[in-house]
Amino acid sequence: MEEQLKIDFEKFLENTNFSKKNVEIKRKNFNNFIEKGFPNRREENWKFSDLNQIISKNIKNLSFYHDLSKPNKIDQSIFIDGLEHNKLVFVNGRIEKIEFDYEEKNKIEILDDLVLEKTKNTNNSLLFLNNAFVSKYFKIIVKKNYFLQKPLVIYNITNKDLVSKSINLKVDILLEENSSLKLIELSNDKSTTNFININYNFDIQKNSILKNYKIDNNSNSNIKYCFNNINQDTDSVSEIFLLSSGSKFIKNEINCNLNGKYASAFVNGVFILNETKHHEIKTNINHIVENTKSYQLIKGVLEDTSKAVYQGKIFVDSKAQKTDGYQLSKAILLNDNTEFNAKPELEIYADDVKCSHGSASGSLNEDSIFYLMSRGLNYQEAKKLLINGFLLDVIEKITDTEIRNLIKNIMNLKQ
Amino acid sequence: MLKIKNLKADIDNKSILNNFNLEIKPGEVHAIMGPNGSGKSTLSNILSGKKGYDVSGEILFENKNLFELETEERAHKGIFLAFQYPLEIPGVNTNIFLKTSLNAIRKARGEKELDAIEFLKLVKLKAKELKFDEEKLNRQLNVGFSGGEKKKNEILQMSILSPKLSILDETDSGLDIDALKIVADGVNSLRKKDNSFLIITHYQRLLDYIKPDYVHVLMDGKIIKSGGPELALELESKGYENFN
Repeated sequence: MEEQLKIDFEKFLENTNFSKKNVEIKRKNFNNFIEKGFPNRREENWKFSDLNQIISKNIKNLSFYHDLSKPNKIDQSIFIDGLEHNKLVFVNGRIEKIEFDYEEKNKIEILDDLVLEKTKNTNNSLLFLNNAFVSKYFKIIVKKNYFLQKPLVIYNITNKDLVSKSINLKVDILLEENSSLKLIELSNDKSTTNFININYNFDIQKNSILKNYKIDNNSNSNIKYCFNNINQDTDSVSEIFLLSSGSKFIKNEINCNLNGKYASAFVNGVFILNETKHHEIKTNINHIVENTKSYQLIKGVLEDTSKAVYQGKIFVDSKAQKTDGYQLSKAILLNDNTEFNAKPELEIYADDVKCSHGSASGSLNEDSIFYLMSRGLNYQEAKKLLINGFLLDVIEKITDTEIRNLIKNIMNLKQ
Repeated sequence: MLKIKNLKADIDNKSILNNFNLEIKPGEVHAIMGPNGSGKSTLSNILSGKKGYDVSGEILFENKNLFELETEERAHKGIFLAFQYPLEIPGVNTNIFLKTSLNAIRKARGEKELDAIEFLKLVKLKAKELKFDEEKLNRQLNVGFSGGEKKKNEILQMSILSPKLSILDETDSGLDIDALKIVADGVNSLRKKDNSFLIITHYQRLLDYIKPDYVHVLMDGKIIKSGGPELALELESKGYENFN
């Protein structure tokens, strides 16, 4: 693979117009990636999801060069109906549309050709890969005191033409003081066996609110990794919801730094998996200063031979007194061949904190099914009602009513 | 309405019911009393179609072989079990559950399904009759309900689904006197010439409020004595141990 990688990288640099400085940083990242390769299970972070193996098993002849010079048509039918929203559309990794029709023009700034910064203390090889191969690096800035009127939907579409490619996207989002953004990420894949590597960096300044809904619902054979780095200042709030269901493999990694007092982070997610799907949610919530709060609730319903992994870490710095950290994960295993791995981790250096964690998994309660059937529901209806009830608990945590209803619709949970 | 002949039930090779016989005619109220472990709950589970028992013998409900019917089909035909321990179903709204249940049964019977407005009207009326806090109907099914509320919720479901044969499995246990009266009133208001009841209980107390036509004593998996309401009083004074 290494030979091909080098050829692809040179071809990529040749065909894209990068500044000298940018090329230099890209080469550095590339070399770092070559050295480390795809992560494997020997790394603690990847012990339940050996990406190296997953890629070699699922993707034949992965190609790292992909021609982004020609525009792609956007299939408008996949746009969310009945919800007014701003749009950012990627097709096959190429940005095709940026549209903030509902907003005041001078309140949103978009930088679309950022130069990479030197990667600070990371040894995440997938970030190296991303930095080396990302072609356009975007930054969206929401100006001070501005609350977006409508949500922003980032569509990540791949079509049939895309086969066995490595796609890298990078978007920074800055919420200046006292601003607010609701961001929905929706993927729609008709492509086969690609590796899609996305990196978001969120900077949430004082008093600002980010609500981020990540929806992976349509069934596809792609392998995905999404790294989210979040920095939060005083009195800021982040609310993340993940619907992890459609892709063959996806690992969502959330690294959230609560750097300002009274900052709070909420991570809620559901796995709904069947066939041989394998999904992971990995969180690092870092309580850096005092009086910060985090809450995580993850639930999964697993069928066939699917597998879900939740690694949730809460780190509490010695300065972070009065931290409130909570995490809980639960899974229903519908079948003996499914697997749920939960690894809660608490690393606490302060003494006046409130932290808790828990995890449980098991099969559907047959007594509950009998109870519902004795009221006239058949087995399938009873099962569905119980599963929906189990998941609804997480969906109800979504604070935006309109988006909560949208997600219930997408999940077929409308009562 | 219900004919049980030579019912034998085992679980894990342990005999629970043996040579059990019972006939209930339309409009009758039968009470089955017995000590712990005599097979009372097994009987109600088997009538409702719970899996996990090895059964033989015959149970006819309106001349139909019950063993050929799934749990939900028995509910459609008009069998209702008020659970001894009603289950908590997180995430499922009580009203929505009641409506789903009622409409599943109406549909199976070839009746028109109720829309949201018709249903709410019905449920409000029934809740009022049973002094059931309406606000609770908007909560998750039985979650955070007290023991008494759960039992009342069973009776509310019974009254909404208006079954032909209602089986009350120790509905009186855990109820205070006021709740007991409300539950009994609920049952009595459903007593009609073609509705029957099978009341399973430890104590005579409930039978002060719901007058049974027949009382049966169940011990070691079979009925050892049958009689009228006076049998319950006799049991109460003698205790199960000295009874034979």
